[in-house]
Amino acid sequence: MRITNNMLVSNMLTALGNNESRMMKYQNQLNTGKKIQLPSDDPIVAARALKLRTDVSKIEQYQKNLGDAKSWVDATDTALAQIGDILKRAKELATQAANGTNSPTETGNIGEEMKQLKIQLVHIANTTYSGRYMFSGFKTDQKLINDDESSPDFGKFEIDVNTITEKIQFEIGEGDNININVCGGDIFNLGGNAADGVEPAMMALFTNIITEMEAGDNDGVRSLLNQFDVQIDNLLRVRADVGARQNRIDLSEDRMSNDLVNMTDLMSKNEDADPAETIMNLKMEENVYQSSLAGGARIIQQTLVDFLR
Amino acid sequence: MQQSFFGLNIALSGLYTAQRNLDVVGHNLSNATTPGYSRQQSIQSASNPLAVMDGTGMVGTGSQATGVQRIRDTYLDFKYWSENVANGEWSKKAELMNEIQITFNEPSQSGFVKIMDGFFDSLQELSKDPSSGAARALVVQKATTLAKYFNSTATHFEQFQNDINDQVKIDVDQINIIASQIQLLNKQIYNYELTGDTANDLRDSRTLLVDQLSKLANIQAKEVTYGKLPNGDDDIHFQITLGGKTLVDHFSVTKLTVVQRSTKLNEEDIENLYDIKWEDGNSVNITGGELRGLLDVRDGKDGIDGTPIYKGVPYYQRKLNEFVRTFAIAFNEGYTKIDSGYAHTVAGHVDGYGYDGDLTDANSAPTGIRFFTMLGVGDTPISSADLIAGVTANITDPDYIDQVAEQYNKITAKNFSVSSDIINDANNIATSDADGQNGNTNILKKLMGIRSNQSLFKEGAPEDFMKSLVAGMGIDAQQAETFAKTQEALVKQVDNRRMSVSGVNLNEEMTNMVRFQQSYNAAARMIVTMGEIYDTLINKLGVG
Repeated sequence: MRITNNMLVSNMLTALGNNESRMMKYQNQLNTGKKIQLPSDDPIVAARALKLRTDVSKIEQYQKNLGDAKSWVDATDTALAQIGDILKRAKELATQAANGTNSPTETGNIGEEMKQLKIQLVHIANTTYSGRYMFSGFKTDQKLINDDESSPDFGKFEIDVNTITEKIQFEIGEGDNININVCGGDIFNLGGNAADGVEPAMMALFTNIITEMEAGDNDGVRSLLNQFDVQIDNLLRVRADVGARQNRIDLSEDRMSNDLVNMTDLMSKNEDADPAETIMNLKMEENVYQSSLAGGARIIQQTLVDFLR
Repeated sequence: MQQSFFGLNIALSGLYTAQRNLDVVGHNLSNATTPGYSRQQSIQSASNPLAVMDGTGMVGTGSQATGVQRIRDTYLDFKYWSENVANGEWSKKAELMNEIQITFNEPSQSGFVKIMDGFFDSLQELSKDPSSGAARALVVQKATTLAKYFNSTATHFEQFQNDINDQVKIDVDQINIIASQIQLLNKQIYNYELTGDTANDLRDSRTLLVDQLSKLANIQAKEVTYGKLPNGDDDIHFQITLGGKTLVDHFSVTKLTVVQRSTKLNEEDIENLYDIKWEDGNSVNITGGELRGLLDVRDGKDGIDGTPIYKGVPYYQRKLNEFVRTFAIAFNEGYTKIDSGYAHTVAGHVDGYGYDGDLTDANSAPTGIRFFTMLGVGDTPISSADLIAGVTANITDPDYIDQVAEQYNKITAKNFSVSSDIINDANNIATSDADGQNGNTNILKKLMGIRSNQSLFKEGAPEDFMKSLVAGMGIDAQQAETFAKTQEALVKQVDNRRMSVSGVNLNEEMTNMVRFQQSYNAAARMIVTMGEIYDTLINKLGVG
């Protein structure tokens, strides 16, 4: 093929341009740390990047949800533990009061402490977690139990809460919801619902025993003693359930942090440029570029013109 | 009988010929870098010999330069033009597709996926505490960001379509200008060549113009013999056709023109896009070149409604519109697409109850509100009620769903918005499926379920839709780039071959220069020698 000067120049420019664009590619990879700048660089990588980003973002959100669920369930557990303590103390007091050697005055005095326990119980039933009533089902901004000591309705449910349907759920995984609340009826009404105006079973036990104590009726107190075991058993059932949920949250947290590591790892493998490899490539391209510049400069200069003097 | 000064004349013709040759060398050298220039060669021959009557045969009379020819392989020109048509189309498409990719801005920290993630994350936060004003405000903010993403993307596409449209006009003007220039050159070339000369440099200029034209549109250029001239030579006309019709026919030119469309080709189009027509009103068939690239990207909706089979701006606009409509109707109403229209599959935002701020009063929680609507007059969001203002059917009526769905066709990516009810009061965000239960998130759960609803789009869930859109766009852009590169390499190769034949090689010219210089010197020497002979004859002979 006959070579002409314009060909030399134009071919050299094309070659230089190609070198430059390859250099730019590696330069960009170094600058951004990413293998691709636009989807067209590698559509498969781009599509996978989008998917992985969503996955990572979901996991991060689930982790946040798990944290919040944990705090809520832990707070519930603490409240339940307090109720347990109160029931235990109440049972002790009742056993003491059931003793026939107690005078009616003494029994009445025990009834005073029993009243205080009941008040404390009502306040625990109205415990809030970050401003929301924990045991009120979906009515988180309403008190579960009337806590107005002067009211005749003191200790009675103030709202309706359906134990089965009013489950507050947090999403802690893809399609995985965990029920974080315990409805008041479940604890205070032996697994039943809460109904406005009704006195829950636990409160009724306290009310009845206080009445017996005030009357100084040791036998009456004794007849109610086994009722405490029923309440304690019910509470243990609820606590076991809450404990199981805490367990599940811990496990999920563990799994999520593993998933996050795996996903971010995948994401990095998918879209991140390997710095060592990129720098090597860039250096290589720089070399090629410089050689082609040097070579070009020589070829293009030399013609017969230079020698015909 | 021999003439007395015959030898001097022969030498003189050598001088002239060498000089003429040197002129051509000079011309080549001066034009070594002129675009489109093809090297020239002077044609040299021995001049007519004299027959000597004494029977000793013919005597040479010296040399003559009979013409200057252009070294050119016309086959390569045709080849160049046909490859350049595809080159123009794909390099334009590659350029435009790049712009589309930049518009989507994926994968990045500020693209659709990130924004969608942000929106659903805010719903998650709200689901954990639906009575929190802060969580509600966050949802409004994230939803607004989502809507704005679509607004700005759609606006960008409109702007882009407008820019392409302007480019179409510029290209058409360019074609007309080049066609007129070629017509002018035709006249000049024809007039020069009538006398038997070849108009080398003018032909170069004309070829260069056709080179440019071939990048713009699918043209074909050829020389046609129309018969014989009175002097016996062929009567050659030069013709350029575009899509089968003649653009330039020898001395006449039919120009192209742009006409604003009275009806849109795509409902997604902006107003008054240009159609390309012949000046005489006939439609023009553009199948290649930059113009085809521009038209495909400007009008292409993958063949739907008779549009070009290319995924251009209207395709992406349509996809964005489809997304916001499907998403809005699923979110607002809980409707999803089935074979025949829509079905009310799950509860939507409209079925839920918002935050009941005061539980003691008789007013119940807000309900029946649609979360997404569109921008109305003055680009302000319209209310939930205004969105379905056109629905006449009762909610129990079987037509109700279809009528509601019909209203959603008014929503586009450009006017997509959070409804004014939600913007004005975040307590209107529905989370509950019952009145007065501020901790109830049953509706919100259904709304969040949209994110993983695989049957929402034929591509799958919302993110899958976008993912497949971005991947498809990436593949199309990659294809355009690959084609453009291949085609450019082909054109480059043909151009190299052309330059190989027609280009000026300085070494060659310098060699010729030396050659012709020597030839000139030799002829001059011959004159000196002849001079000496005559000196002997005239001055020395018989002079005593």
